[in-house]
Amino acid sequence: MSSASATTSETNQPAPAAWLARLQDWSWFLLPALLLLLIVFFLPIVLLFSFSLRPHLGPGTVGEGVTLANYLRFLTDPFYLGVLVDTLIIGFVVVSICLVLAYPVAYVLARSKSRFRGLMIFIVVAPLLISTVVRNLGWFPILGNAGLVNWLLMSAGLITEPLRLINNTAGVIIALVHTFLPFMILALVTVIQKIGVELEEAARNLGAGPIETFFRVILPLSRPGMLAGYLVVFTSVISAFTTPAMMGGKRVLIMATLIEQQMRSVLNYAFGAAAAIILLAVAAILTIVALRQEGRG
Amino acid sequence: MTRFALHSIVALVMLFLMLPLLAVAVASVSSGATLAFPPTGFTLAWYERISADFYAALRVSLIVALGATAISTVVGTLAALALQRGGMPGRRILAIFCLSPLMVPTLVIGVAAFQFVLVVWDIFGLSVTDTTLALILGHSAFCVPFVIRSALAVQAHYDMTLEEAALNLGASRVETFFRVTLPLLMPGIVSGAIFAFLASFDDVPVALFLGGSGTVTLPVKIFTSIEFSFDASVMAMATLVVVVSLLLMLLIDRLIGIEAFIGTGRN
Repeated sequence: MSSASATTSETNQPAPAAWLARLQDWSWFLLPALLLLLIVFFLPIVLLFSFSLRPHLGPGTVGEGVTLANYLRFLTDPFYLGVLVDTLIIGFVVVSICLVLAYPVAYVLARSKSRFRGLMIFIVVAPLLISTVVRNLGWFPILGNAGLVNWLLMSAGLITEPLRLINNTAGVIIALVHTFLPFMILALVTVIQKIGVELEEAARNLGAGPIETFFRVILPLSRPGMLAGYLVVFTSVISAFTTPAMMGGKRVLIMATLIEQQMRSVLNYAFGAAAAIILLAVAAILTIVALRQEGRG
Repeated sequence: MTRFALHSIVALVMLFLMLPLLAVAVASVSSGATLAFPPTGFTLAWYERISADFYAALRVSLIVALGATAISTVVGTLAALALQRGGMPGRRILAIFCLSPLMVPTLVIGVAAFQFVLVVWDIFGLSVTDTTLALILGHSAFCVPFVIRSALAVQAHYDMTLEEAALNLGASRVETFFRVTLPLLMPGIVSGAIFAFLASFDDVPVALFLGGSGTVTLPVKIFTSIEFSFDASVMAMATLVVVVSLLLMLLIDRLIGIEAFIGTGRN
């Protein structure tokens, strides 16, 4: 074979130096990411865990030694357990509302060839690209005492006093539903697209009405994927900090706002770290369950 | 009948999704009290009254987001290549490790980074709070996994024979990488980079815990401004963010298509 065309395969190339051969192995490309994540993620999380096992000595100081006191305090005090339960309840309410609102939209997006499909995709995806704080801000003129909702209800004569829809749990739930609805819709679109249209047609041909077809064919078939989507969004909701903090006006105490309070106002770093590790553990377990479920769906 | 009901529900959900965005825009041009409805008149005065603090915060946010995106795009793409093609042992575990920050609430990442910075100060006397670099590194904790995930997703349907063809046709390894491999992975890398940018630009908790008075990002600025009374100039700033975000979305649609974008980047 002539040397001019000798580059056609590896065997014809001159034997590279040993170090070059090792560099050519793609494995080395992982190194920068590993080092970076080690410093900015892994070490800080390990440190957080170690802080959670140390005694609290006073504002901003942790002592030496290993103790489970912070975890025991959290898990035995009805107040803190209540915060955890409230977090899970808010998560459950938000994701359930999301599921009910998302399903019809996902169904239409998965099935229709409507000329509005592109516009609908745009409306669903747009909020994902817009900063959460900006979207939350938009709820103030809508839900405030002199906002749109109260104005509509008062003009209609349904209420005489404005409803409190902001700086409380109601405001947090409404804004969280808005934040996570697009994720739920997109998860369900994938799930519904996997169910063959012919199954639906078969049910219709066998005499089932649209509602019967939905409850006896589509809904059962979409259950595994739906559950996976539910768990993923649930995990994001209980982990959310920005929206509950903004919409709750410091009055709604959930895990995320409790942790922030311990770290920035109470300055009990050890207890805040323990609460953070508990939230992390709950989120990690739910994610793993969701991934398993997705594998099944 | 069922069809009509279905479409009405969908239309109402669409309205719900757009409502806060419209409200921000309406509030930014109404002359009366910020939170009062209905608006009493039209004015552009709030746009002139956006304080210099907000522009400074926007600048910090853009620098941090661009920095975090640049680092995570390079590092994340290389990592995804290694995870897909490398011969190292324990690839599965390494992949889980690289993607694990996505499982962790960003508030927890922020709190952990905050304590890490305190310890670094205690041990080395090195103060890294209130620097742009600290924010960039803090954000890269979740930006890098975003890029890795997207770049891995495109590689799942990757046709290795194209590279062999290039090599057989006489291209060098380097040439093959830049003219075949990289262009084929580009949609995933671009999606990942956009996700990384958006995540950084959206973040409050990490910036709240790592930032100081000199490194207030726009989300943190808006977040803290509502704790006190705020006027419609905040709404004006927010409207500008909405407009730019929508333009970005049109650009994404042109570059890779919105549906491809959400397909490669979703959980």
